[in-house]
Amino acid sequence: MLESLQYLLGGFAVAMTAQNLLYCFAGALVGTLVGVLPGLGPIAGIALLIPATFGLNPTSALIMLAGIYYGAMYGGSTTSILMNVPGETASVMTCVEGHKMAQQGRAGPALSIAALGSFIAGTIATFGLVLIARPLADAALAFGPPEFAALMIFAFVVLSNVTGGTLLKSLIMVVVGLILGTMGMDPVAGNERFSFDSAYLLGGIEFVAVAIGVFGIGEVLSNVAEPPEQLEQTVVVPRFRDLYPTMTDLKRSMVAILRGTGIGFITGLVPGPAPVIATYASYMVERRYAKYPDEFGHGAIEGVAGPEAANNAAAQSAYIPLFVIGVPFGPVPAILLGALLIHGVTPGPLLITESPQLFWAVVASMYIGNFILLLLNLPFVPLFASMLLIPKRVLLPLIMAFCVTGMFSVNNSVLDIWMMLVFGAIGYVLRGWAYEGAPLLLGLVLGPKLEVAFRQSLMISQGDFSIFLTRPVSSGLLLATAAFLLLPVFKAGWRRLR
Amino acid sequence: MTAAVVMFVFGVVTALASLTLPIGTVRAPGSGLFPLALGILLAVLSLAQGVSVYRAQATKARTSTGAPVPPPAKPLSEETRRVLLFAAAVAVAVALLPVIGYGFTILVLMVALLRILGIARWPVVGAVSTATAIACWFVFVRILAIPLPAGLPGF
Repeated sequence: MLESLQYLLGGFAVAMTAQNLLYCFAGALVGTLVGVLPGLGPIAGIALLIPATFGLNPTSALIMLAGIYYGAMYGGSTTSILMNVPGETASVMTCVEGHKMAQQGRAGPALSIAALGSFIAGTIATFGLVLIARPLADAALAFGPPEFAALMIFAFVVLSNVTGGTLLKSLIMVVVGLILGTMGMDPVAGNERFSFDSAYLLGGIEFVAVAIGVFGIGEVLSNVAEPPEQLEQTVVVPRFRDLYPTMTDLKRSMVAILRGTGIGFITGLVPGPAPVIATYASYMVERRYAKYPDEFGHGAIEGVAGPEAANNAAAQSAYIPLFVIGVPFGPVPAILLGALLIHGVTPGPLLITESPQLFWAVVASMYIGNFILLLLNLPFVPLFASMLLIPKRVLLPLIMAFCVTGMFSVNNSVLDIWMMLVFGAIGYVLRGWAYEGAPLLLGLVLGPKLEVAFRQSLMISQGDFSIFLTRPVSSGLLLATAAFLLLPVFKAGWRRLR
Repeated sequence: MTAAVVMFVFGVVTALASLTLPIGTVRAPGSGLFPLALGILLAVLSLAQGVSVYRAQATKARTSTGAPVPPPAKPLSEETRRVLLFAAAVAVAVALLPVIGYGFTILVLMVALLRILGIARWPVVGAVSTATAIACWFVFVRILAIPLPAGLPGF
């Protein structure tokens, strides 16, 4: 613990250099904008910004990209409260009570409580990260290929169970992602695979093209498909002096914020789209234990404070599995893993010992980033809200232009843009079929890792599959996976029997 | 059902294509083993999905009264037409990128997309498109020095 704090102080020294402060600020600002503007979520936002980090050292790059994620969690509340339109999916629950408060002329307190809740939750969750990262990394050092393979399978199944679509549809998307991940060079033998004699495909499918395509272009096309009246939007921008919450607001929100922080932190540690699940769970808990239950559905401030705290806490703790075990449990950490690999950093148990400067600087930057976001969000909420005055008819072409430019700059390749457009069309069709994009992205990013772990396990055991069941951690994870898979079947059977 | 069929075909094609690669043995798995397993898994999962959709449709047909009425053939809706036009405009702009260069591509793209999304006033379209093209060119080409295609115009 004391050692971790010492490292953290060292991390602050690195994070507080002028250059890193600037990148932390830039990440937080861009993240807020990504969260505020509908049509661009954190996944596409981070993917678009990856090329801009190529000239930076890995620490500065990660500080900026991490800032985008938690910045988007802050910014997402603005559109939810003012327009009843979630800027990104983790802000859906904020719409319920937040927009009702805005309709009653209390948009200001809703926005400020959302910012305050996010700040408190983000700060506490980062402290939690400091506390458990080291012990968890030490435990993860004992992981071999069978454990990693079992952990990834566990992550896929749990993520599939908790994302929006049905379990079967999500599992199908995971497998499609895994298949796409096999294209290019075989990671073990080095053979050419499914590249159709194309030098472009030899390097595999560019995951940034898939991320921007499915999440950015897919979202833009879905917006274009909306009826014309929805392309017009009206928004009331609150004045600065209206932002202050009353003492009663603060008192009522504080417990909800702390509860939301706890729920969010734990949710970030399990596979799935953590911030989305955390906000939903927090809202349900607040409604269940509400002191003023009649207010729920009509603008209860606890319904804003809890979920907003929860999504930020989850966004922070979701870094733990990524950094410490090297396995991202959700789509945003998955894209951060891709960014880390581009920068030559392999996250995992050895990261803390081999690159302590990078790890602790990023953690320290989260404290700083949360403070920057509080400063950005409270006084400048009217400014961000006024950005919503840009009509969607103008915003969507602008996002499209950024997607084209951003995609080209990854490898300076026009072929990448075509690849992005193909995946944009696929993403749009998949939305129409109610298939989720997140499991596909996770499958694509983790596919090569899973294949290596799987093949190494079989080589170690001389082809004996029982290696996955005889080692306690992997067998435990596979048993938990089986339970997750069979639970819906048992539930359905039990319902039929009754 | 269409989705399940598409996924099933994708799974089968993957499995068949994997057979052209060295499969190896379980002791020393080859390049084709993992994609082969994934292809088969996808085919099985999408088959299960297809069966579940079919059963749901059959149950719905049984519970609904009267003869099933086939849905009338719809002409392309306004929204679908807009999405197709939007996507086609982007594709044309990307095809033009190496020829007319980045600056003009953004200009053409913005003009087309703004018009498709129903901004009728040409001065507005012209002003927004020109401002975006200049801003993008200045930020990405001049400041960030990204080697975006210059095309025939040279910028």
